[in-house]
Amino acid sequence: MDRALRRKFANQAFVVICTGAALVALGALALIMFSLLTKGVGGVDLMLFTADTPAPDSPGGLRNAIIGSILMCGVAMMIAVVIGVLAGTWLAEIGGDTPYGHVVRFLNDVLLSAPSILIGLFVYWWVVVPMGGFSGWAGAIALGILATPIVTRTTEDILNLQPNALREAGMALGASQWVTVRSIIWKAAGAGMLTGGLLGFARISGETAPLLFTALNNQFLSFDMSKPFASLPGAIYPFAMSPYETWNTLAWAGALLITLAVLGVNILGRWLARDKDHK
Amino acid sequence: MSDTDFQSVITPPPADQLVLETRNLNFYYGSNQSLFGVSMPVKRNGITALIGPSGCGKSTLLRTMNRIYDLYPGQRAEGEILVDGENILGPKVDVTALRARVGMVFQKPTPFPMSIYDNVAFGVKLYHKKSKSQMDEVVEKALRRAALWDEVKDKLQKSGLSLSGGQQQRLCVARGIAVEPEILLLDEPASALDPISTAKLEDTLEELKRDLTIIIVTHNLQQAARLSDYTGFMYLGKMVEYGPTEELFVKPKVERTSDYIGGRFG
Repeated sequence: MDRALRRKFANQAFVVICTGAALVALGALALIMFSLLTKGVGGVDLMLFTADTPAPDSPGGLRNAIIGSILMCGVAMMIAVVIGVLAGTWLAEIGGDTPYGHVVRFLNDVLLSAPSILIGLFVYWWVVVPMGGFSGWAGAIALGILATPIVTRTTEDILNLQPNALREAGMALGASQWVTVRSIIWKAAGAGMLTGGLLGFARISGETAPLLFTALNNQFLSFDMSKPFASLPGAIYPFAMSPYETWNTLAWAGALLITLAVLGVNILGRWLARDKDHK
Repeated sequence: MSDTDFQSVITPPPADQLVLETRNLNFYYGSNQSLFGVSMPVKRNGITALIGPSGCGKSTLLRTMNRIYDLYPGQRAEGEILVDGENILGPKVDVTALRARVGMVFQKPTPFPMSIYDNVAFGVKLYHKKSKSQMDEVVEKALRRAALWDEVKDKLQKSGLSLSGGQQQRLCVARGIAVEPEILLLDEPASALDPISTAKLEDTLEELKRDLTIIIVTHNLQQAARLSDYTGFMYLGKMVEYGPTEELFVKPKVERTSDYIGGRFG
């Protein structure tokens, strides 16, 4: 075989391998979506949003779990965005090159890959035990701790992508570093920082393990976050394992809801961060 | 020629016309010295150009004049830079106030991610509280002086990033002069622009020089010859020759200068 033919063959082979890998990944995703839709859509009706989790073999919905998840994820994201954005900004703009900065970045990376059940145990010892019981706050804190390193990391990465000339331009006008970061750099990096928040939300919205020993669960509708708190993953877990068909259907519907919520929030984020500058 | 017999010929403008003067300025990036005893007396109003081969220190010199190097730990300057007689390298200098007097435009256009209007108003807001109508006036005046007004007056609320490269650079000039500085530093402002945009920018600078001191770093010798009243030629971190542009280009006093201008090195 001559050289040109060999190169042509190698090229074709790699195209086939890459396409194949992409198809496998997409296929798995399509399969998940397909089974979620076929098994979950049947459980989506008005009652899903108006009734609370039922006793075995009786009709019901997921209202308490939906509201619980929204509240806990909301509080968790407030914690994660405030701490994550400030920490990421500090790493990118101020202290990232100092020895302390290196330690902070390393610990953040460790936290990023920490098993979520460990975070649950940590919050159990430091929040649940001293407060004397499971609570929605504890669940939100655990989820917040999970999302914080993601927001921190993406914020730092996105800010580092902003050209130094932009910082210099702000400072050259006499703006302080804080004003430059706040009103120029954050603005320029806004879309990317939003993506960081969305990644964090996507990560925690389906987390079950850290809620097991923090928020526990609640079969009834509750807005009191100092008490045990319901959540979608917390409802899906026992319902999917149960022998009761009504519970199984609700579990599939709940899984579908989480997926749609993540999808919806992502689309919303993309839309908010769409390129407005060139229109 | 070895480094020891480095010739340096400075022809200063009349003493009563000086606005800025570096005296025996040394600059260090960490332990690397990149400016060696640079003295440069700059005439008030008009355009002063800095030329020289890449890495000769002309951008470094420019970046000392508003102390923008302060952003980077490890960079430091020694010597004196007098602006209106005050040494701006002194410890008690208010850097913010200095940068209001000495503006800067960079090599690549750096519009902020906000509207054209807000870009120009940004610096002004840092120093003055102004009513909407006062601010409108300031913005219009700055854009007119930068010769950009006619092109953007109908789209002031559009993003500064939507402009072409040349317009963005003139927007940066407008933003810089909106705070009414005495001196405007330009670091190769036309190197990312096409010839037509470059010509427009040069026209703008010609207009501005009547009541503004402009110091421009350029790789383009024709540009320096066309635009400037005084020119400094730098080499290896030293000021080789400094004087009126015509003299420097027509009958340079130092051999190295004539070699560079004649294209025999660099």
